[in-house]
Amino acid sequence: MRTTRKKAAIGLTSAMAAMLLLSACGSNGGNNGNTAADNSASGNGGAEPVELNWYTIGTPQKDVDKVMDAVSAYTKDKIGATVKMTMIDWGDYNQKLQVLTASGADMDIMFTAAWAFDYVQNARKGAFAPIDDLLKQYGKGITDTLDPAFLEGSKVDGKNYGIPAYKELPTAEVWRFNKTLLDENKLSITGIKTLESLEPLLKTVKQNNPDVTPLQVDKNYTPYIPYDYLIEKFPLAVKLGDTGYKVVNVFDTPEMKQALNTMHKYYQAGYIPTEAATLESSSDVQATGKWFADKATTQPFADNVWSTSYGYPIVSTPMSDALIYNSSVMGSMQAISANSKHKEKAMEFLNLLNTDPVLRNMVDSGIEGTHYKKTDGDYMENLPESKNYDMPTFALGNIMLTYLNPGDPADKWAQFKTYNAAGKPAALLGFNFDPTKVSSEIAAVQNAKEAFWAPLMTGTVDPVKYLPQAIKKMNDAGLGKILTEAQTQLDAWKATQGK
Amino acid sequence: MKALGRFFKDINRNKALLLMVLPATVWFIFFSYLPMLGTIISFKEYRVHGGFLSSIIHSKWVGFDNFKFLFSTDDAYIITRNTLLYNIVFILIGLVLAVAMAIVLSEIANKRLAKWYQTGMFMPYFLSWVIVGYFVYSFLSFDRGMINKIAASFGMDATQWYSEPKYWPFIIVIVFLWKSLGYNSVVYLAAILGIDKSLYEAAMIDGANKWQQIRNITLPMLAPLMTILTLLAIGRIFYADFGLFYQVTRDSGTLYGVTNVIDTYVYRGLKTTGEIGMSTAAGLYQSFVGFVLVITSNYIVRKFNKDNALF
Repeated sequence: MRTTRKKAAIGLTSAMAAMLLLSACGSNGGNNGNTAADNSASGNGGAEPVELNWYTIGTPQKDVDKVMDAVSAYTKDKIGATVKMTMIDWGDYNQKLQVLTASGADMDIMFTAAWAFDYVQNARKGAFAPIDDLLKQYGKGITDTLDPAFLEGSKVDGKNYGIPAYKELPTAEVWRFNKTLLDENKLSITGIKTLESLEPLLKTVKQNNPDVTPLQVDKNYTPYIPYDYLIEKFPLAVKLGDTGYKVVNVFDTPEMKQALNTMHKYYQAGYIPTEAATLESSSDVQATGKWFADKATTQPFADNVWSTSYGYPIVSTPMSDALIYNSSVMGSMQAISANSKHKEKAMEFLNLLNTDPVLRNMVDSGIEGTHYKKTDGDYMENLPESKNYDMPTFALGNIMLTYLNPGDPADKWAQFKTYNAAGKPAALLGFNFDPTKVSSEIAAVQNAKEAFWAPLMTGTVDPVKYLPQAIKKMNDAGLGKILTEAQTQLDAWKATQGK
Repeated sequence: MKALGRFFKDINRNKALLLMVLPATVWFIFFSYLPMLGTIISFKEYRVHGGFLSSIIHSKWVGFDNFKFLFSTDDAYIITRNTLLYNIVFILIGLVLAVAMAIVLSEIANKRLAKWYQTGMFMPYFLSWVIVGYFVYSFLSFDRGMINKIAASFGMDATQWYSEPKYWPFIIVIVFLWKSLGYNSVVYLAAILGIDKSLYEAAMIDGANKWQQIRNITLPMLAPLMTILTLLAIGRIFYADFGLFYQVTRDSGTLYGVTNVIDTYVYRGLKTTGEIGMSTAAGLYQSFVGFVLVITSNYIVRKFNKDNALF
């Protein structure tokens, strides 16, 4: 009796164990399944067209295959290659690409950036093919049109590994305001620049509109300070304009201390959402329009874009200079996989994508007459079908080739170019910190940092009490060692740059 | 030679049984044993170099460097303590409640109602932690949460739940039990339904009341299953449920003291550098400790009752 029961139990439990394991492996299994889409085209440049596997970021669209068929028909004639695009959703992109790369999947072209499937790190880990020679041979169109600052700024250890999309070059932070509330309270944004200068406005709004959040802040918020960060959201930075290139812990700087004190003052005054430190995004409150001011990154005509997408008027005023950071140069890139069997064809395709308006607009807006229609000149209008092919324009190469939307000024791209020309390089443009030697310390400091970062940045906790704790905890975890290593690398880089 | 002959004879005699375990064996070879070779990555600085195998071969050996980040700071103590204590509490309370609930369900006279309760309790098991996280948020949100609203109607002050570490050990245990209890009690319920009814009949004739029946028949009959499930749970005692500790706590920094566990520590530490070697090292460390614990606890169980042990 007892033994039969035991056998049954073992059977049951092993079935359960199997289920657990199965669910744990589920996501990885799915990835491998995707990569099995084998491309059988062999050889290079022969009569047989080559199929290029293109992995890019964005919510998968229903009509991708349909549009890619049209794209393939076009590229087959032009360069003898067809294209298969795999879209991976925003939130999954990092992880899936990491698995695909580590497992040596068959990819030719993939999207990379400073913020998604980290360009510099993965270039160093060997995920991308160096493209300097390919660029010379097959990428003439790119080098001719693209602002040289992009290719120069996106070099990793002296080599290029990706084609940056031609788009706005400098990054500038702005204060955005809900114009309806500005007008209602007869407030003016002239003279607003610093965090402190916002105070009277926030106070008025708090008094007159109690149901509105005066300063909308979520957990991703960091106050603007004139420093250039070495790693995104990591407390090491160099002060802008510091010719000595001294790496500091931002929490030790007077600017950050002041900003955090002000944030805490605002928090206590009720200007900031109570749960800002755990708020994932501000999209809810943006949808309702019940906010007055927030911080954002701008580009030419940004006010129009924001107003259209939110459905109510937005105005903005700059809080920082327009500077070219590493992150702005590497905001959107296409790289060629180190494992690609068709590197030359991939480069030819990227060259065409970045120079040929027909191809670029097909990839961006779909098939003419189905997804969009041309109106006058370079203007286009989306047709209802475009909901099945809604792509992130900035992530697919040169945006200056794309057709204009209704309401865009005719000289839109000329203005982009003027804006780009006015941008000044930030302190660390071209320097990429290599964390390999200190990766254990970085992992430990990350944990120490994450515990304090959002609560401090959003003003939720009192910096007088928590800032010393945060600094101590990060130093104990090895921040000093990372700082020293960063300084060594930076000094070496400085020497080669002749600065 | 003789041994080999006996081996084939054995296979021949048991071919029906062996055929039945074949799918599971193949499955285990592919998804459990083969991937074990990958643990070699935890001693390497993984860099892409062609395919997966050639990448492994060409990557540099780094000895135990990949394990360092787990033990380098005070956090090592905190994450180990949190992971172990939460799991011990989950195992103990989970066991008691699941068995109790299974017995209660089996004793409900109205079978239709019992099925209702059972399904109701089972449902949360299928929800993802992200969804559960939002359920919890709807209770604990500062401005709009149900608990703060109720507190306000009694004239009490609102609490900032997501920045008060002292409540979280309880919240985490409650949420975990709410999600997992239904599933575990169904496992025990199935075992109870399998108990020979004649045992209860005999007990009733002897004048045993409900309580005596439970204590002297149901519980002893469940003991082997309880031991086995607990032993298996001990094997995973060094693994924390990432979703529970990350999504449900909304990744709130102020709570890390009581919510940072090995899995969240590894995630937070490696999301910027993405070193595969270091995450593999963490996984190997967890499996190794789990393995040692299972062997030890199985050894202890064997001492007391050989039949109840796993192996």
